[in-house]
Parts: sequence; C-alpha cells; structure tokens
Amino acid sequence: MPGSLLSVRGLSKEFGGVKAIQSVDMDLVEGVVTALVGPNGAGKTTLFNLICGHISPDAGEVQLAGRPIRGERPHTIARLGIARSFQDLRLFGRMSVRDNVLSALEPTAWLWQPGGRRAARARLHKTEAALERTGLSALAGARAVDLSYAETKFLSLARILVTEARIWLLDEPASGLDPVSRARFVALLKEAVAAGVTVCLIEHNLDIVTELADRIAFLDRGRKLAEGEPAAILRDPELIAIYFGEPRR
Amino acid sequence: MTAYLLNLATLATIFGILAASLNVLIGYAGIFSVAHAVFFGVGAYAGAQVALNLVPDVLLASLAGGLLSGLLSLCLALPALRVRGEYFVAASLGLQMLVVTVFSEAHSLTGGHGGLVGIPPASLLGIDVSSPWHFLAVCVGALALSLVWIAILMRGGFGRGLMAIRDSESAAEALGKNVPALKTIAVAIGCSLAGVAGTLFAFQLAFINVESFTLEQSVLLMAMVIIGGAGTLLGPLVGTLLLLLLPAALSFIPFIPATEIGTVQQLVYGLAMTLLMIFRPAGLAAPSTGRR
Amino acid sequence: MLILQLLASGIQTGVLYGLTAAGFALIFGATRVFHVAHGATFVLAGYAFVLGAQAGLPWPVSCLLALVVAIGFGLFMDAFVYRPIQRHEGAFFTVFVAAFGASLVVQNLIQFCVGRGSVSVSTPLTRASEILSGLYIAPVFWVAIGVSVALFALVTMFLDRTDAGVALRGLSENPELLRAFGLSSRRLSALAFGIGSAMTVPGAILTAATSGIEPAAGAHVVLISLAAAVVGGIGSLRGAALAGLLLGITENLIIAVLDTQWSEAAGFLVLFAFILFRPSGLFGQAVRR
Repeated sequence: MPGSLLSVRGLSKEFGGVKAIQSVDMDLVEGVVTALVGPNGAGKTTLFNLICGHISPDAGEVQLAGRPIRGERPHTIARLGIARSFQDLRLFGRMSVRDNVLSALEPTAWLWQPGGRRAARARLHKTEAALERTGLSALAGARAVDLSYAETKFLSLARILVTEARIWLLDEPASGLDPVSRARFVALLKEAVAAGVTVCLIEHNLDIVTELADRIAFLDRGRKLAEGEPAAILRDPELIAIYFGEPRR
Repeated sequence: MTAYLLNLATLATIFGILAASLNVLIGYAGIFSVAHAVFFGVGAYAGAQVALNLVPDVLLASLAGGLLSGLLSLCLALPALRVRGEYFVAASLGLQMLVVTVFSEAHSLTGGHGGLVGIPPASLLGIDVSSPWHFLAVCVGALALSLVWIAILMRGGFGRGLMAIRDSESAAEALGKNVPALKTIAVAIGCSLAGVAGTLFAFQLAFINVESFTLEQSVLLMAMVIIGGAGTLLGPLVGTLLLLLLPAALSFIPFIPATEIGTVQQLVYGLAMTLLMIFRPAGLAAPSTGRR
Repeated sequence: MLILQLLASGIQTGVLYGLTAAGFALIFGATRVFHVAHGATFVLAGYAFVLGAQAGLPWPVSCLLALVVAIGFGLFMDAFVYRPIQRHEGAFFTVFVAAFGASLVVQNLIQFCVGRGSVSVSTPLTRASEILSGLYIAPVFWVAIGVSVALFALVTMFLDRTDAGVALRGLSENPELLRAFGLSSRRLSALAFGIGSAMTVPGAILTAATSGIEPAAGAHVVLISLAAAVVGGIGSLRGAALAGLLLGITENLIIAVLDTQWSEAAGFLVLFAFILFRPSGLFGQAVRR
C-alpha cells in the first residue's frame, strides 16, 4: 500500500490451540489514524503485543518502513520509533510523574546517558514540555500511584508523547474519561497527528472513533473482517451486530 | 568497652555497605535475591586469599573481592533474566544452598568448615591501618563511597531505568529499556559491593568461615533492607543499625539468660518482619503513602 | 545391598516429602501465596505430637492434636498474616518476607520454650527387621507409604469429585468460576490452607517418631517443598508429589557416591537447573509469570 509506514502481513498467533490472531494484514499509513475495533477477545491487544515484540508470532511479517522487525526485542522496536500504551497503563508507580516521563528519554543501559550535562538538560526540558502539554506540570513531583484516574491516563500519554516516536499504538487511551478530559485528550491526539504522528488506537467508544479515526479495521476472533472508511464500516449491519454481541445466525 | 564498641561500629559499617548493596537489587531493580550472603562470602574468601598470599592491602584485596563477586553475579543474573517473582526467589534459594555446600567443601580455597585463619592485619597503600580506629575509618570511608556511588547512579538515568523495570517490566521494554542489560549491570554492581564488604569483614575478623555466609545471613540482610525501607538510600542503614544493635541491647535486659539472646533476637526480628509487612510494608524510612 | 537400603530409606523420606510438597503446591496453586511458613506448620505439628505423647496421651489423640495444631496454624497464617497483606499491596515479596518472619518466630519460640535439641518419641514401629540379606525395613516404612498414598489419593479425589475441590483448583485461574459454585474465595482459601497444612502432619509425626524433630527442621522442609513444587510445575499436585519423592530418593542415593554434605546440595542443583532450563517444571504449563 502506498505510504504504508508499518505493514503487517499474514500475522498469526495461537495460544494453546486458541487462534488469537489469524493471518491478519494491516497497514498503518503515514499521518492516518486507524482505529482497531471489535468485541472483547477479538485479539486487538494481542495484535499490539505481536507488533511490539512482546509476543513472538507463529507466522507472518511485520515491516517498519520496509525494514522487517519481526523477532526483534521490544526495546529495539521501541527505539525504532514505535511507542505503545497499555490498557492497564503500567505506569512506574513508585516513581514521580516527572521521572516516569524522563525515563522514556533514557534508552541506554549504561551507567551514564550519552551527551553529558547538555543532553540531560535537553531531556529535562522536553519532559517539562510534555508535562505542560498534558496538564501534569503541577503534579511533576507526585508519585504515579497517587494520581487520579484521568491523570494516570494523561501520564501514560505523556510518556509516549515525549519519545517522539513516529507510530503510536494506543490501547483504550480514553476509556473511562470524563467528557472534559476526553475533549482534552482528543485535542492532544489531533495535535500530534497534525505534527505527523501515525496513530493506531484500540477504542470501544464509537464517538471517539468517528471523531478521530480516518480508517477502521474491524477484528473478530482473531480475524480482520473488514477495513475501510469509518462511515462504511459503522453502517455495516453485520459488523455492528457482531460488535454489540447480538446473536449470530 | 571501647574495643567492644569499636568492633560493633566497624561491623555496623560493613553491614551497612552490604545492606545498601542488596538494596540496589531488592529496592531499585526489584530483584528479590535471597543469596546475597553468597557474594559477601565470595568477596571475603577472595579478599582473604589475596591478603594471605599476596599483600594485605585493603584496596587491592577489596578490588579482588569485588571483581570476583561481580563476575560470579552472572549466576544470579541468569535466572533474573529468565524468571520472575516466586521462581526467582526459588532460584536464588537454590544458589544459596548450593554455594554454602561448595564453601564448606572446597577446602583448598575456603578452608572448609575450619575456615581461613590468620588473615594478616590490614594496610592501605603501604600504611598500616590495622588498629581499630584506623580500620573503622577505612570502613566508614568505604561506606560513604558506596552510598555516594549508589546515590549518583540511582538519581540518574540508570537508576530510573531500574526502577521502571521494578514497577513495570513490560512498560519499561516498550519505552526502549534494554531490560537484560540493565538487570545484569544492576546485579553486578550490587554483588561486587557485597564482595567489597566481604573483604572488609575478613580483615576485621581476621578469621572467616562458612557460618557467616549461610541462608540465615542472607535473610538477616534481607530483613535489614526491608525493615529499614527498600528503595530508599538511608533505609538499609536504619535497618542495619536496628538489627545489629538489637542483640547488644538485649544483652542488657536482665531477665533473658545470656545463652538465649540469639534466640530472642531472632524471635524479635522475625516478629518485626511479619508485623512490618502487615502494617508498614514499605519499611520504616519510607515516606508514608500520601494517597489522595 | 547398600543401594537397596538407601533406596528404601529414600522412598520412605520421599513419600513424606512428596505429601508435604503437595500441600505446599495446593496452597500455592489455589491462593498464589508462597507459603514459606509451611515448614513451621510441619515443625509445630511434630512438636504437638511429641509433647502430647510425652504428656501420656494415647497416640491417636496425639496425632489428632498434631492435626489440629497444623490446621490451626495454617488458618491463622491465612487469616491474620496473608489476608491483611493482600488487602493493601499484595506484592508477593511482602508475603514472602512476612511468612519468613513468622517461621523465624515459630522456630525461636519453640527453641525458647522447649529447647534447641531434637525431640523424638520411641515407638515399636521403628524396630527394623531384615527382609533380604542386608536390607533392613522397619514397619514405619510401610506406614509412611500407606498413609501418604492414602492421604494423597483422598485429597486428589476431593479435588476431582467435589464442587469445592473443583472450585479450589480453578481458584487461581478463573475467579468467575467461583460465583458459579456460590463459594466465597475467602472460604476457599481457608480450605486450601486447611488441607495443605494437614498434609504436613504424617511427615511431621513420622519424622518425630524416627529421626526426631528439631526447631530448625522447618527450613529444610520448606526448601524441599519449594524445590519439589517448582520442579513438579508450580500448582501441580501430582508433579509436586512426584518431585518430592524423587528428591527424597536422590538425597539418599547420592550418599552412595558422594559425601552426605552433597545430598542436600544435589537437590538444589536440580532446582536451579529446572528454573533455568524448564521453568514450567515436569507437569506445569505456566511459564514466565
């Protein structure tokens, strides 16, 4: 597909006989927001885990800008520019909000990060900017476990924002947010997309999907049933029936 | 009395280094090792051998002890990379039990149950530092250096990387942390510091045997870190002081027979461990949780 | 004949290890609590039996006393140590440290009250007779095997056949299953601790009756249980029992080749190797938690 930044071909994964993902093809096109939609257990999070190398696929290919990344370790894939969030956030609970974000900018395992004082100041600067954008500046010193629900959601986003990754894989980033926070979240994401970020998000709230997504990929029981414009997908009665769990004939 | 207090103070500093080094594993990296006495022992034997066969120089012996412990720490890093949680605790227990047997059977290296005796008085770069005051100063210096070293590392990106892994390994990976490398380096740092403490311990006692490097010792060290507060800089020191002063304090209580002090001491710290875990799991030195 | 004799004592030790380890595995499988104080249960049961017998109680009463003490301690740990911890943080290491502390308390309390030496009860069961030339077997050998096999069969039958048993097995994997059976996880975890603790009793009594039991024996017991549970595959009762049996036999057979000091170490070498190369154990499925 032209302009495809991340391409997934024939990806499959089985867990003890259960086919979690079955030969899924998907393309993330530069600057396009793709929403992964489907009922619970459709394999959406598994797909993220496969792309990011947290789980190794049984078959299939994943390419980032033409470079095969299947089989790479998660941290290598992250450094190539794919950032992801987790449904259960997985913040660094006992670290401060600032350190949660700062840590995302320090990839080397060596005792000292490269670049010396100047680079360290730059990292701190970026961190403060990310906290500012997500509205967490006042809480920079608080521990992540002490944040409110909406704040944890924004911290999770700030960690990704700061990495300057080209691709964001977001796992239910807006679930459970109040209307005000949700509007803030949507604005933030639109800002990022305008700045050239390619986004793929798992989302159950169809309002958010229609507001944000340019394309929808519909997953059910590990298979991609459809992909296309949101309007077309959301008008398909069969998909809607599956999505809302109505009895299938 | 002064001699007694000096000895106690020196031991407290040595155990302070040990607890601080274990804290790198338990408190910062989330690697729950119950085999720390192994690396204390490796450092003690290596340092003692250097002192007995080469020169009784504290610096050189500590270097040897630290290096060897750091190298052998790979035995601990390996399971730490493969398994987590209870499995790792079980693996480190296995390592601890295995190595104690090696310590007591490898007569040529460790002197077996009899241990290594007659470790010569310490010198530092040609200066005699064997008097109690001097050696205490050496140990305090070593403790200060260790704490500064740990503080610098843990405040920087390396420490943040470790704590990120401790709090969520998968998220740390997803943010680009090389988890195996970070864990291996953390284990090497913690264990080599334990080796240095071991060397100092050998010089202080002039005699070492396997009794000091058993599972009980590992548990005592673990208790020091946990009771003081894992993941804080000074918590392990608080724990060390409490647990080392406890037997000393108990010996002043009149109604406990002298032969039972060890028992009562273990009883008290067992109780302290259990109660603290129930009521204050973050340890004494940790800030109380300010949950909103 | 030495090998045969060692094999016999290995089997005798092994079946008791297996039973105790299965108790540990049952508790861990159902509640995800790493019950390091399992060894303390063992020691308490042994002392209850010995003190009961020394006080002149008939042996069935002493056995019952041991059973009551073991179950009581298990339930106590569940209700007053593990449950409060799980309520706030639930980090497994917190549980581990608390359990370790409790074992230290039990060990030293017994040391303080009874003394640090080993205590035992002499019974006619330990009088060995020569079965083959050079092979001496005491009746206790048959008792150990009989009791262990019977109790193990009873527990597995309970787990397979009754609602509570099935729920117990499903507890760790599938909490929703519980609601279907109308059982509370609280009651089930108490059940797991009760049964698991009871499974230490035969080992404790027979150890007290043969080699004697000492306050520090708990550490060895829990290490063996832990090793067996890991080698057998954490959560698998059969695996733990089999691994316990094998550990007991290895521990004894190795004496034929190496010094006694190495017999314990051999068990831990096996444990270490298993964790490195086959963390799922002999029968387990759950790898890399």
